[in-house]
Amino acid sequence: MAKATAIAAGNAGTGRIVDTDRPLVDEKLVLCFFIASLSYVLIAMLAGLLFSLQFLQIYPFANSEFFSPGRWRFVHTQGVAYGFIANAFLGALHWAVPRLTGNRVLSDKLSWFILFAWQAIVLATVVGVLSGEAQALEWGETPVWIDPVAQLGLILVAINFLTPILKVKGPMYVTLWYLIAAFIWTPLVYAMGNFLPEYVIGGSAAGAIGGLFIHDLVGLFVTPIGWGLMYYFVPIILKKPIWSHGLSLVGFWGLAFFYPLNGIHHFLYSPIPMFLQYGAVISTIAVELVVTTVIVNFFGTLVGRGDALRTNLSIRWFYIGMVFYFTTCLQCAFQVTLTFQKVIHFTDWVVGHAHLVMFGVFGFWILGMMTHLLPRLMKARDWYCNRWNHWHFWLSGIGLFVMFIDLMIAGLIQGFAWRDLAPWEDSLTFSTPFWKLRTLTGIAIVVGQCFFLMNVYMTWKHMRGAASTTPMPTPTGGGEPAIA
Amino acid sequence: MAIIRRVESRAKRITLWVMGLLIIVPGAYGFAEKMRQFILTLNTEEGAGFTIIPIANYFLIAGGMACLFGWAMCNGMFGNVEEPKYTMLDHERELDEQDGVDWSKQ
Amino acid sequence: MFETRAGIFLIAGFGFFILAFIVMAWVPIAIYQGEPELSVKELAEQGLTHEFIDLAERYPKQFKEHYGDVSEESFAAALKLGHKIYVGEACWHCHSQQIRPVSNEGRRWGGESYAEEYQNEFQRPVLFGTRRVGPDLIREGGRKSNDWHIAHFYKPTSVVPVSVMPRYPWFFDSDGYPNKKGFAIITYVQWLGSWHKNYPYWYNRGPALPTKTPEPPPGFEPTVDDEKPKTGVAMSDAETNAGA
Repeated sequence: MAKATAIAAGNAGTGRIVDTDRPLVDEKLVLCFFIASLSYVLIAMLAGLLFSLQFLQIYPFANSEFFSPGRWRFVHTQGVAYGFIANAFLGALHWAVPRLTGNRVLSDKLSWFILFAWQAIVLATVVGVLSGEAQALEWGETPVWIDPVAQLGLILVAINFLTPILKVKGPMYVTLWYLIAAFIWTPLVYAMGNFLPEYVIGGSAAGAIGGLFIHDLVGLFVTPIGWGLMYYFVPIILKKPIWSHGLSLVGFWGLAFFYPLNGIHHFLYSPIPMFLQYGAVISTIAVELVVTTVIVNFFGTLVGRGDALRTNLSIRWFYIGMVFYFTTCLQCAFQVTLTFQKVIHFTDWVVGHAHLVMFGVFGFWILGMMTHLLPRLMKARDWYCNRWNHWHFWLSGIGLFVMFIDLMIAGLIQGFAWRDLAPWEDSLTFSTPFWKLRTLTGIAIVVGQCFFLMNVYMTWKHMRGAASTTPMPTPTGGGEPAIA
Repeated sequence: MAIIRRVESRAKRITLWVMGLLIIVPGAYGFAEKMRQFILTLNTEEGAGFTIIPIANYFLIAGGMACLFGWAMCNGMFGNVEEPKYTMLDHERELDEQDGVDWSKQ
Repeated sequence: MFETRAGIFLIAGFGFFILAFIVMAWVPIAIYQGEPELSVKELAEQGLTHEFIDLAERYPKQFKEHYGDVSEESFAAALKLGHKIYVGEACWHCHSQQIRPVSNEGRRWGGESYAEEYQNEFQRPVLFGTRRVGPDLIREGGRKSNDWHIAHFYKPTSVVPVSVMPRYPWFFDSDGYPNKKGFAIITYVQWLGSWHKNYPYWYNRGPALPTKTPEPPPGFEPTVDDEKPKTGVAMSDAETNAGA
């Protein structure tokens, strides 16, 4: 186990603490966060699958208040955002931040407290929304009485991680920059999105704030942490420095200065004069370029190590996620135009877009990190069955991609049917085949996750059986030949 | 056995500058354009309220970011821009070797 | 820390971030303090809907049990609970409350949304919606009968065979009559758009906002104006007139 003392010797002058021989990374904590995250992903995805059955008129629990499809849709979004993604990010940060800075987090006790408090918040949210207490804010349906607790939790998380980061004296690696930004933005965004529309601003102005909240939640919380972790995990798995650190910093500062205001494109149909909204296109292009620098950098890193895509499953998760990220951003560039908004607003297009961002990008990155770290955290030599991990990858990847295309087409059909003043029922009839396919892809994704969960369980069980006889060396992460 | 530092190739440096300019120029232009929109919106009656909130916040956050940038400059963090990517890997390798993870094979 | 330039920058930076927090709370409060926003009570005072009275007459025993007499207070109570159900059951995930000025939406539902109609307590947080699986509801009030809504909430496919709306049997008691929740959600849905000039019952009455409804006399029966049948055709006529 890596001790803080030992590192300090080799890295004098970087401000790393020497005082103790407690392990740098609390691996058990990271494991707990990951397990929590994986439990929620199963619940949240099953909830989504259940909800999709309603669209086919075959909902199995139609008469049960507790299983009302609408309420389970809350569980789906809340479970994914706060159960799956937030937990996994917290786990990965507890791994990456101490290792990058050489400093432990501010307080281990606080970390454990955050673990339990966060699970309590998410569980309370699930119970709250299932008993019909939701708040009418998309992605913020958390019942109102949980909001201040969650806000406090976010500030504690920020303090816990900012302390080791700001102790770093030398030049800072780009990941740390992204994380600093994320820890500052997230509490602000959460406060803006959850308190302003509830207590201060009413009416249509609040609608604009709500739009900004959804946008910023993705852009200023999930995106910086996601990219930050990519800048950490990709080089260490490839054992190769990032192509250009300078370029990554350009990308970061571009995001830092130009992204926050970009969310204002949710002010469509607001009193902003129409002809001026075309100016927004320029800013969107600037952000596209920021994204391009990141993509160039990562693919530049991959040059010469392209075989890793074949041999290393984590790398494959990461890079397919990046391709999806680029796709989403490209989609965004079109979506912000009024021409597209006319047709796609309120349709399944948006649903497909959201799935691509949340699962196709951040979900995939998270699963890649887990594929890399989990055996090591469980002190296992390797995964119990690598073939299952490949099933996990292909079922999720193909499932998601088909779902995205399917919903995109469905969205266009719905949008045009509405615009053409076809009877409302027609838009349902037209959508049914697409909804059927969507449910099938959902099943594929859920089955994929089951393969992964099974694998985690079997690896753990296997390790426990083996632990009594042999000491545990050399975990290899996801490095294994690809047999799909 | 640290990670080998390579002199950055000319192509890479050119890419860096070109991309940098490509971001800063349209970014700054778009930014100025946004500001113009907001000033115009501030003069409309119903627009004033909800434009001033994001814009005030934006300026404050950007100010904070600028200060962080200054902090980094003063600490000489951009002196050798490419250095952190190597130290990060060195550091990671050391930590891994303490855990018994072998870095010699790819 | 304070003596170096770097330290000052760092502190100033975080100062800015904290200031951002304060400004974010303070500026909106300062701006929106004077904003007129109707409370539920004020909304109820704008007039009871005929559908609410109709519910009371149709199910006198059940209505009496849950809401007592027909009054502004009981109307407000029903609206409030109805709104809570609308949010809690995620109705707003599949129904929007925003008619956009594009894509013929005004023609389909009768009258585009305007800012003032969102200035009330029920639009906090605003219920624009996010997806339209079912139709927009902001002009729904008065378009369909209470009977239709009761059948529809109990089993949507009984009135719209292709409907994918979930069933809500817990809006009804064991005898099949609407319970407290059932009355509330129907009152809320039938109230939506009652302020609008295209609200069917008020179509001929002139003002955009309905004036106060007189107390219904004993034996009062809601009637429909004969001159203008309340059909979809009349709706689009109304809109043409409104546009002119």
